[in-house]
Amino acid sequence: MNHQATYKAQPSHDLWFRAGQQLISDKLGILGATIVLLFLFITIGVWLGLWGQNWSETSDFFNQSPSLRHWFGTNAIGQDIASRGIYATKVAFEVGLLVAVCASLLGTLVGAVAGFKNNTWLDSSLLWLMGVIDSIPFYLFVAAIAYAMKGFIFSMHMAMILVFWTETARVIRGEVIKLNQLEFIESAVAMGQSQIKILLKHIIPNVSHLLIIQSTLIFVAAIKSEVILSFLGLGVKDGISWGLMIAESTNDIQAGYFLNFFVASGLLFILVIGFNLFSDALQDALDPKLQK
Amino acid sequence: MICLFKAPYLMKLNQLLLFLFLGLLSACQQQDNNDGNMNHEAQVDKKIYRHSEDGKPTSLDPIKASTIYSNLMAVNIFDTLYAYKYLKRPYELKPNLATQMPTISDDGLTYTIEIKPNVYFTPHASFAGGLGREVKAKDFVYSIKRSFDPANGGTGAWLWQGKILGIDQWKADGANYDQVIEGLKALDDYTIQIKLTQPYPQLIYTLAMGFSAITPREVVESLGQEFGSKPIGSGPFILTSFNSETAYLIKNQDFRAEPLDIYFEGYDPAKHKSYGLESLQGKNAPFIDELEVHFINESSSRWHSFTKGNEIQYTTVPKDKQNAVILQHDPILVHPQISKNYHYTYGTEAGFVYHGFNMDDPTFGMRGDEEHDKNSHALRCAIRKAHNWSQKNRAFYFGLGQVFPGIIPPSVPEFDPNLSTESIELDIEGAKTLLAEHGWNNDTLPEFEYHVTGSVLQKQFYEQMRGFLNKIGYPSNLIKYKPYPSFGQFNKAIKNRQSPFFFLGWTLDYPDAENTLQLFYGPNQTPGSNNFNYSNPAFDQLFEQSSTMLPSPQRTALYRQMNQMVIDDCVVISGLARNKINLWHKNVITFPDREIVGGFHLRYVDIKQ
Repeated sequence: MNHQATYKAQPSHDLWFRAGQQLISDKLGILGATIVLLFLFITIGVWLGLWGQNWSETSDFFNQSPSLRHWFGTNAIGQDIASRGIYATKVAFEVGLLVAVCASLLGTLVGAVAGFKNNTWLDSSLLWLMGVIDSIPFYLFVAAIAYAMKGFIFSMHMAMILVFWTETARVIRGEVIKLNQLEFIESAVAMGQSQIKILLKHIIPNVSHLLIIQSTLIFVAAIKSEVILSFLGLGVKDGISWGLMIAESTNDIQAGYFLNFFVASGLLFILVIGFNLFSDALQDALDPKLQK
Repeated sequence: MICLFKAPYLMKLNQLLLFLFLGLLSACQQQDNNDGNMNHEAQVDKKIYRHSEDGKPTSLDPIKASTIYSNLMAVNIFDTLYAYKYLKRPYELKPNLATQMPTISDDGLTYTIEIKPNVYFTPHASFAGGLGREVKAKDFVYSIKRSFDPANGGTGAWLWQGKILGIDQWKADGANYDQVIEGLKALDDYTIQIKLTQPYPQLIYTLAMGFSAITPREVVESLGQEFGSKPIGSGPFILTSFNSETAYLIKNQDFRAEPLDIYFEGYDPAKHKSYGLESLQGKNAPFIDELEVHFINESSSRWHSFTKGNEIQYTTVPKDKQNAVILQHDPILVHPQISKNYHYTYGTEAGFVYHGFNMDDPTFGMRGDEEHDKNSHALRCAIRKAHNWSQKNRAFYFGLGQVFPGIIPPSVPEFDPNLSTESIELDIEGAKTLLAEHGWNNDTLPEFEYHVTGSVLQKQFYEQMRGFLNKIGYPSNLIKYKPYPSFGQFNKAIKNRQSPFFFLGWTLDYPDAENTLQLFYGPNQTPGSNNFNYSNPAFDQLFEQSSTMLPSPQRTALYRQMNQMVIDDCVVISGLARNKINLWHKNVITFPDREIVGGFHLRYVDIKQ
């Protein structure tokens, strides 16, 4: 009954309004959002060709210290570390966005169908599929996908999408099962609305807040995974990413040069912290039970 | 709760048990200490040298000694007929198991070689009575035949293929070891006769390579494939154990007594005085009791093991430590702390690194269409002009490499120091002009695939090459990185002619430019050694002409003519001979050289005590 009251008494626009209010009052959340927006701004600049375009240029100035010309110095073949770090932000955002959007959509769709068809063979099959995917070690799975799709530039993205959607699907499935028992769904059924219409019009809009939270979590996980996979040689191959910069720095560090490592891991750290703060604040704001 | 100490008799019993227990512990401890002392004394008495290599041998069977690591092991476990003089540079051969240099017939086709009597294989159960038997001329004949037996998977047959009379037919007839080969005979127990199909001046060098090391038939047949990990030979050391990390060897106590004459070996006080080699004069090698060869690929681990003091005693300087070791480049000077703690030498490698084009590639190579071939030639030459050797040398070789034009490296006597350096000079404008003249622009330039073994270092090579190409207007989106998971797969792609452009190194097998020129000889195209699939009838004709000639100014002139052809055809972007620094602990008396000498120096290592 409480659930019913919550949903009935709190229309969708009211939930979003209250969430917005709470988010604005969350200082850490605002800090996180600022960081994310800053990185987004950097990424858009790279997309528009405003900065970071000379990331692949080599020069005669190897392992230089920071200077006005090279803010974070140069690497072992004279490339500007700042430009590489900035350009890699775009790569991180591309991976994060693509994986977050695709995995969330796939997870929502499958989770909603499974929840809507709760306790049917379809639900059991989808749960079994999720269990199978979750039981495969992530990096082994990515390596297998990368090998199977040799030469395909999105093999890493595909592997991440195939792994990350299950968590979203489970969350959405649980929520849909709850929603399914509410009166407005029963009314829609009684009014003879088609299952697809109920799903698209009544159920999915009511889980959109969860979808946003899940997307931010997947976004961060995808960026971190990309860095690890690229470091291991399974991710970005032709191009630059923070993972590749950290991989490069394994040689640099032994020779006493740390800038490549500091810049790549520093940028990753700031973005992940920013996204986590934002994601936590969003979660607090969008969870009806936590709303003040 | 019962307290054991309450009853007096129980208390005594407990005390007794306690004393007995402590006594037992003490005895155990004493026993340990005794063993420790004994081991320590044994270690002090023994001279143990711990060598290191940056890779590991795949097999210890000499017929598979195709890497420097396998070769190093082979020449220390087995005997070869000839060896290189320990200190003499340029490299010079000397008799090893042979009594003297071969007697060669006037037509250069028949070699007669006497071997030393009373040289014995080390003991093995396969020998009568388990004792090592004498090495005979027939063992050499058997050992060479093994390379041609398809069942063995040997990798050194190319050295004698088509050159020793009848050996290819012997292989075709089923590789029956009891069948006599006309060109490879044991005339008696101590005399070998080799007959050639045509003069082959490099033959004698091949008899100093691990591939020609002498193996006992009964042991090989008894062990089968296991012979590759449990080799038995007549060399200065006996292998006691071997795994992927370390090979443990002990001195062959029965190794023939041959007092070392350092002056005959090429001792030069100006070069060698500070290493203590004089103390070895007149002594019988090997001087150490035990030899450990540690295979440590990871440079950081190797460096830490070396600098720790009590682990490996020799290393080359890894790239990432050159900054910490080298104080001055030309001439090389090391930091005072390094020279205080270690001995060091440096020298140019007997080999070089290069970028090569696959001439069979439909885009970058030749296909018989005059217009296409002219344009692809211009494209290759433009790419060569864009290559900045100076930058590569400083970025990856600490500026120590020697850049030279063509394919005859500085380590061979046929090297031409006066050859034009145009082919190794950076010429961005020249490259752009060449491209424009032949209609190459953003719309017509082909995709440039850079095939390589996937690693951080190789990726940096690629990125630098991309930077060079960008400077002549080659768009980044047309430059593709094609990494392979292993060198084996990369090599397979080259052998399958799938790699239009590659970066490789070549280490010479012997000090003769023929060894690099054969890489461009038409009939050697892949899967042979000619990875470039270069086919130039004029080159091939000169190669065939020179291959039967003894070293002479005429032969050198032919070699240089061939070198110029390869340069003119822009087949290769070459080359750079790396300068390597060897470091070893000061208590070790040695003069290490991993190049053509290939491990013969280990028998002359001594430890100061």
